[in-house]
Amino acid sequence: MNERIRLMFAEAVDMKLEELSNGEMTIQVAYIAPMCEEKMIADFIFVPFAKREQPYREQLRTIVEYKVADDVAKWRDLLLRGNALIEADGIVYSLYAARIICNESPQTQVESAIQGPQLALSEDLTKSLNLIRSMYQSADLSVEEHTIGSVSKTPIMVVFDQRRVDPTILDNVRTKITTIHVEMVNAAGELDKLLIGKRKHLFPTVLITERPDRISKAIAKGKVVILMKSSMFAIILPATFFDFMHAVEDHYEAFWMTRFLIFLRYTSILLTITLPALYISIVSYNPELFRVQLAFSIAGSRSAVPYPSFIEVFIMLFMIETLIEASIRLPRYIGSTATTVGGLILGQAAQQAGLVSSIMIIVTSVVAIANFVIPVSSLSFAVRFLKYPLIIIAIFFGISGVAVGVFVYITYLCNLRSFGKPYFRIFGRLQPTEGDIGQVKLK
Amino acid sequence: MNRYFFYNFILVSFINLMLYVPHILMADRYRGAVQSLIIGAVIGTILLYLYTGALARYPGKGLPEILKMHLPKWISNSLISFFTFMWLYATSLAIIAFAIMINRFFNPDVHVSLILAMLVLACGYAATRSSLTVMFVIEIGLIVNAPIILFVLFKAGSNPHLNWDAIRVIANYVTKAPTLASTAAASFIFTGYINMSLFNRLMPPNSRFRHRWIYPLMGFVILLITFFVPIGIHGTETVGNYIYIWSITADSLLMQYGFIERVLFLFLIVYLNLTLVFTMSGWHQAMEFVKSMISNHKPEIDSEKTPLSNYVIVGVFIALTFVYLLLTNEKLNMLISTYWLIFRMFVEILLVIGIFILSRRRPRSA
Repeated sequence: MNERIRLMFAEAVDMKLEELSNGEMTIQVAYIAPMCEEKMIADFIFVPFAKREQPYREQLRTIVEYKVADDVAKWRDLLLRGNALIEADGIVYSLYAARIICNESPQTQVESAIQGPQLALSEDLTKSLNLIRSMYQSADLSVEEHTIGSVSKTPIMVVFDQRRVDPTILDNVRTKITTIHVEMVNAAGELDKLLIGKRKHLFPTVLITERPDRISKAIAKGKVVILMKSSMFAIILPATFFDFMHAVEDHYEAFWMTRFLIFLRYTSILLTITLPALYISIVSYNPELFRVQLAFSIAGSRSAVPYPSFIEVFIMLFMIETLIEASIRLPRYIGSTATTVGGLILGQAAQQAGLVSSIMIIVTSVVAIANFVIPVSSLSFAVRFLKYPLIIIAIFFGISGVAVGVFVYITYLCNLRSFGKPYFRIFGRLQPTEGDIGQVKLK
Repeated sequence: MNRYFFYNFILVSFINLMLYVPHILMADRYRGAVQSLIIGAVIGTILLYLYTGALARYPGKGLPEILKMHLPKWISNSLISFFTFMWLYATSLAIIAFAIMINRFFNPDVHVSLILAMLVLACGYAATRSSLTVMFVIEIGLIVNAPIILFVLFKAGSNPHLNWDAIRVIANYVTKAPTLASTAAASFIFTGYINMSLFNRLMPPNSRFRHRWIYPLMGFVILLITFFVPIGIHGTETVGNYIYIWSITADSLLMQYGFIERVLFLFLIVYLNLTLVFTMSGWHQAMEFVKSMISNHKPEIDSEKTPLSNYVIVGVFIALTFVYLLLTNEKLNMLISTYWLIFRMFVEILLVIGIFILSRRRPRSA
């Protein structure tokens, strides 16, 4: 066996190929040392083999951990996944002894909730499954394993409730997974793109989350969850726009306050998209829209600004976008300095120097802050882009252009489908109890 | 899935302002408009009941499919091409009227054809989507805009300057015999059911049109507000001076505490949205009708990929709209619109009765 394995693999020092003999029998052992728990290999192979308290041959036959691996073609995969191969009496057994390095029961970081479960998914599939199973204790929970990536061979798990899941979605997911052809998949975001299959999209149509409570709730609703090895994020599909606007805490806190928060989120998403465009259209096209005192104060604050409003908007948006980008990418300690310098000093100075009006500074900050209110970061990212097309159309058509632009966005959203389910539909249920529109298949 | 019918109904009854309906009614205010309101409402209600009753027997089937089932191909095709033209005309008229209105109130410096270009591109994009998408857009457009319209109506109704005497004076002309034009204009408000000609395709087999009594009631209330509130605000005489009577009415309202002082702007933006939604739905229906005339065409309600034919057909619609803008002016527009409304009423009466008879001849179980 060892000779064959030596031929299969490139020269590697961490590849262990041993031959042991205890007088009674001779075995060959092969494993990749860094991939395996050395203690487990010692406990299961070397120690019992050397001690000879029980014939090792019998152990191999009786203990279920040893699995017969007589297909030579599978050896390579087995070894790469952290199995040890043992050959005894001409039969090859495999023993799963993988050591998985992962963050130990991590706290939620991306989507935090004050009073929700604080544990996030783990990078280890079994630990994640443990969390999900303990939250969703139902015999109907079905788990399928697939592999993606011709090189990375990333294991993924498809988890769903077999009684509640929509079979069309499940079929759709299965065919999508089997038809994906890539070499490497490392992050849930990558898998998400492959699943959607569209290269250019404005909005995320599957939800990426790290929260086990969100996942269990989604499974209960009949959605499909995809877990991925070495990624602490799971993919939930199908997702609707409203899922992205919904924080898990909305279920945990007082009813009216959470309704108010949801209202607040929709208001802020509207503001962050339209405010710069509205500023341009009101300053440059229709100052008469506002009551006269307000129109005067806006015009007054712009009196020192020597160029048209859209240049002002571009300057400020450039500044705020670079600031946000910098504070995300910088190490945490420097990040706060960048915000202070940019936000406080630059904004104030730009206004005093007469480069931008003070109203514009307010607009910019509202745009930035309102954007952070969106609870799921992938949507928050997508929404950051949406203001620019509106700005362009506002430059040419003013306020009516903004209204038309918003209409086009709504149409685009309504046109999106997440795995065959409508993405932007008010009052729609995933699995309606009575007949729903569009269910009829036309001949 | 009744609410989708409701949306269509409300959309059309709100959009009447864009098709010069109030103006036509105002022109006849001393000559029988009041009685026309009542007769128009009666006609509209009867047609609504007949048509919904007939369509409930054909779940999941649009008008083209129903006609094809019963009639020879050439008859059904010529009928469908006729309806295509009717819908295309109404919606294009609305969008052109709005382009002119934007030009007048918002962007007086931009040429009207440029504004129209922006509007038709947006509508064209929306109309080429699938029927299901169009329905969702209608839903969202109404849910977002209807509260603001109700607010404007409330503002108008609660206006202290609303002169009830003027309203009473006009209401007393109820004894005058109705005119054809204003009856047709009044019955337009109830014509939302005709949208179901296409959108009936989306209806599931077990759907029924429930609570049908709501529609005549709401339609009549909208009709009364459309007609009487401007009279109360402008007075019996001046009300005849305006073409876009409701824009002027909205402009005479004031929001004392808002950012925006003049209700006009709110009104215009809301109506811009509604007009876009209306044009989208009309063009989409016209487009689907054209497609249904192609032999061996399979109707699809939610195709994954937009077929090329959609773009081609809507491209032709856009071109026609431009030609229409260049060839006509507002005065002509209004005249044609009046004739169109009359014509539409008769066509709809024939269509509805025809479909109703066809549906009764069909065994219920089939």
